Amino acid sequence: MLAYIVRRILYMIPTLVLTSILVFTLIELPPGDYLESYVNELLAAGETVDPQRIEFLREEYGFDKPVWQRYWQWATGMLVGDFGYSFEYQLPVRDVIGDRLLFTIIVTFFTIIFTWLIAFPIGIYSATHQYSWGDYGLTFMGLLGLATPNFLLALIMMYLANQWFGTSIGGLVDPQYVGKPLSWGKFVSVLEHLWIPVIVIGTSGTAAMIRRVRANLLDELRRPYVTTARAKGVPEFKGLMKYPFRMSLNFFIADIGSILPQVISGAEIVAIVLSLETTGPLLIQALQSQDMYLAGSFLMLLGFLTVIGVLISDIALAILDPRIRLQGGVSR
Amino acid sequence: MALTGNLLEVHDLHVSFDIQGGQVDAVKGVSFNVAPGKVVALVGESGSGKSVIAQSILRILPRNGRIVSGSILFNDPASDTDRVDIAGLHDKDPFLYKLRGGRVSMVFQEPMTALSPLHTIGNQIEEALTIHQKIESGKARKETEEILDLVGFPDPQRGYTMYPFELSGGLRQRAVIAMALICNPAMVIADEPTTALDVTVQAQILGLMKRLQSKFSTSILLITHDLGVVANMADEVVVIYHGEIMETGQVEEIFRRPQHPYLKALMAAVPHFDMKPDERLVSLRDAGRENDAAVIQKLAPRFKSSAPEKIEGPHLKVSNLRKEYYLSKGSWFGTGEQRKIVAVDDVSFEINKGECLGLVGESGCGKTTVSKLIMRAIDATAGSVMLNSDGGMQDVLAKSGQDLMTYRRRVQMIFQDPYSSLNPRMTVQNILREPLEIHGRGKSEEQRNEIVDLMSLVGLDPRFLNRYPHSFSGGQRQRIGIARALALHPELMICDEPVSALDVSVQAQILNLLNDLRTELGLTSLFISHNLAVVNYVADRIAVMCQGKLVEIASREQLFNNPCHPYTKSLLAAVPYPDLDRLLDFEKFNYTSSTNASDAWGAGFLPSEQGALASLEIDRDHYVLANENIELKELRV
Repeated sequence: MLAYIVRRILYMIPTLVLTSILVFTLIELPPGDYLESYVNELLAAGETVDPQRIEFLREEYGFDKPVWQRYWQWATGMLVGDFGYSFEYQLPVRDVIGDRLLFTIIVTFFTIIFTWLIAFPIGIYSATHQYSWGDYGLTFMGLLGLATPNFLLALIMMYLANQWFGTSIGGLVDPQYVGKPLSWGKFVSVLEHLWIPVIVIGTSGTAAMIRRVRANLLDELRRPYVTTARAKGVPEFKGLMKYPFRMSLNFFIADIGSILPQVISGAEIVAIVLSLETTGPLLIQALQSQDMYLAGSFLMLLGFLTVIGVLISDIALAILDPRIRLQGGVSR
Repeated sequence: MALTGNLLEVHDLHVSFDIQGGQVDAVKGVSFNVAPGKVVALVGESGSGKSVIAQSILRILPRNGRIVSGSILFNDPASDTDRVDIAGLHDKDPFLYKLRGGRVSMVFQEPMTALSPLHTIGNQIEEALTIHQKIESGKARKETEEILDLVGFPDPQRGYTMYPFELSGGLRQRAVIAMALICNPAMVIADEPTTALDVTVQAQILGLMKRLQSKFSTSILLITHDLGVVANMADEVVVIYHGEIMETGQVEEIFRRPQHPYLKALMAAVPHFDMKPDERLVSLRDAGRENDAAVIQKLAPRFKSSAPEKIEGPHLKVSNLRKEYYLSKGSWFGTGEQRKIVAVDDVSFEINKGECLGLVGESGCGKTTVSKLIMRAIDATAGSVMLNSDGGMQDVLAKSGQDLMTYRRRVQMIFQDPYSSLNPRMTVQNILREPLEIHGRGKSEEQRNEIVDLMSLVGLDPRFLNRYPHSFSGGQRQRIGIARALALHPELMICDEPVSALDVSVQAQILNLLNDLRTELGLTSLFISHNLAVVNYVADRIAVMCQGKLVEIASREQLFNNPCHPYTKSLLAAVPYPDLDRLLDFEKFNYTSSTNASDAWGAGFLPSEQGALASLEIDRDHYVLANENIELKELRV
């Protein structure tokens, strides 16, 4: 097992190197650079531009160096935790992302928990009561959740929360806590605000999840080993959990790999509507203004999370499924 | 209650299934009894409702099935309560949970899928015990290991921790039997317990069941379609057809004096070894091939034109064929060395023009790999395959490009499973047209005519052409598969277990059809099967394969009357005959599963330091794989 994990981690290195090259190429592709858009912006605003200052900045940020040199600087910098400098925020990228990353992780974590808490019981019920009224009703609700645009739901929820509970609109904390260190009051405030994005981001995922739980479990319920368990006298619920449900879990474990980056990057629109201080809006903003190191480092982060997620799900699968653990591959 | 009366009495049982737009009556008024310590066989074809009866007894019918009326009285000798009507209990009655696995347990057909792949054998067997008895975990484990030992696990301690996929089919079925017996039930329902197993393993498992049955005096309700198994196992027989009982009686009466026409027909439909050379199987329901003669006359010349009538030498010559696979060794994805598996080891044979060679062997012996090598579906490691076509021997393994395309036209295959070998999203017309299109045979109109002819050739109504495979029965689907194989007018036809997925009655139809087509169209064929009786019915010569090697090859008569190789002998001895005077000798089959069958063969059939194995001709055209130094006289004995 250890050898396997070590080998998998070694495989990650070339994957990440390739990803970084790809990301760097992508952010270099649009014509011009941050300074050009900066100058254009200033000109558009009717301000004068000092060419000497621009030249100074260009030299300072290394825009005059060849592409591969800049890539090398960026890539090696990341290894020691230096993700470059955000022109827009005039801060190191690490400081810009840091705070938001924490919020993003909180929102993501709760969203995943929310999705699973709702989706698994409903999915199991739907599968074991296939074609019953309960199944149809829950399926209908799920499809409704899937079909409602997230931003619309977000607006409605915000309105309702403000009307009923007096929660401030937008953001993850009350305005007075913004930029303040963590305190009990801030923590409570976060929880107060958290449920809206969790429900909004969660609903669409939940609906899809219910369908998948149902479909996977239905497949397993028809298998002969389920009949074996029944013929053995295993109580219904225990039999359900021990055999078909556990088999159907494989799929979800395999899915962890894609969940991490999906939830982080998939929630941008909602985050903007709710003006959440998460990473989604940051990425969009950075891409728009060609804040290349911020955007690049962010994309790298997503890539890194994907690779980690896949690793975690592979290891979990190997632990849970003896067939994967014990059967070697056949080759010619 | 004492041991008086029957253990189980089924009275006038009716079971229905709700399906879209109506209901299907699967069981229509069935009554029978199971006496304590007796084996009752429920015999019938698939769809006759025999499994439904078993599921009704345990009340584990699928959700859309229900018992409409009738009673299932269970009279437990081990309990003081009166007999219980299982059919009348509520779905969640606690008695049912005690009954299932505790008093009545079940052995299933397919031991691979009947066991959960995620749990160890020990876990699953022990579960049956811990559900029904209050027992400490250490003691439960010990009892589980004891029962594993009893059913013939070579190493019970190790077996306890193994997963189903690590075991052979026979060992898996032993595990399922252990699971059924661990609570010492009053009755075991065995639903086709040996149908998925090889013939020698089947004999072992049947012997095991018989031994344990007499040891624990358990009743067995044996569900099967195989009359040979019935003759060897049952005390009483219940013959069922379309949910109704046709005939009931002691096994003696049933086999010696069958009364009902259905039972007589069933017996005539099974191929057996005492058939005369020209005897035909009598199919239960003869699917029509009425305008046969006309179609044959029309089609036969097309086949003849694509292959010359007479050729010099053998039609197909396979020499020293070898195929190796590599398995990564060990677990946990280790990068360790790879293990070499020789799937086909130095196999040589010839098939003459118009001849049918039967290739027999147990699963995993490499017979399908041989067919794939001939088909060029996989590449051989060594050896050669030559086809005598276009006036000379051609090297099949060296073909490529257009040459290979032409070859594919000459060799076609009929597959085992008619359910998965036809694309469910294509109409029959498209299925049959596809090979013609791939090989650019004729214009659209000609193709259409050809397809219509093919349909009548295999006895299907051409009006069915626009239907999809799911609207056909298994036998009809196999006919479609045959028609597809014939579409390109092949010279050589490879049939890979073409009837093993089919019912006895349908099997007779398909075998007759294949036999007729072969003689009428002059096809050369390689017929692969694990069923010796089937091979005996269709083949002219028979080759026996074991562990990748061809151990014996001879004409049909020679092989059956004078088998020489110990493996061939054990195969023949393991076939259950539907004949009370030729019962299996269960003592012969060592009940512990031997990992290496070749250990018991004797020195003459094993390689030694003095000599390797060689194919020796012991009689005219009768070859046996034996040590090259052995005296032929010794073999002939």
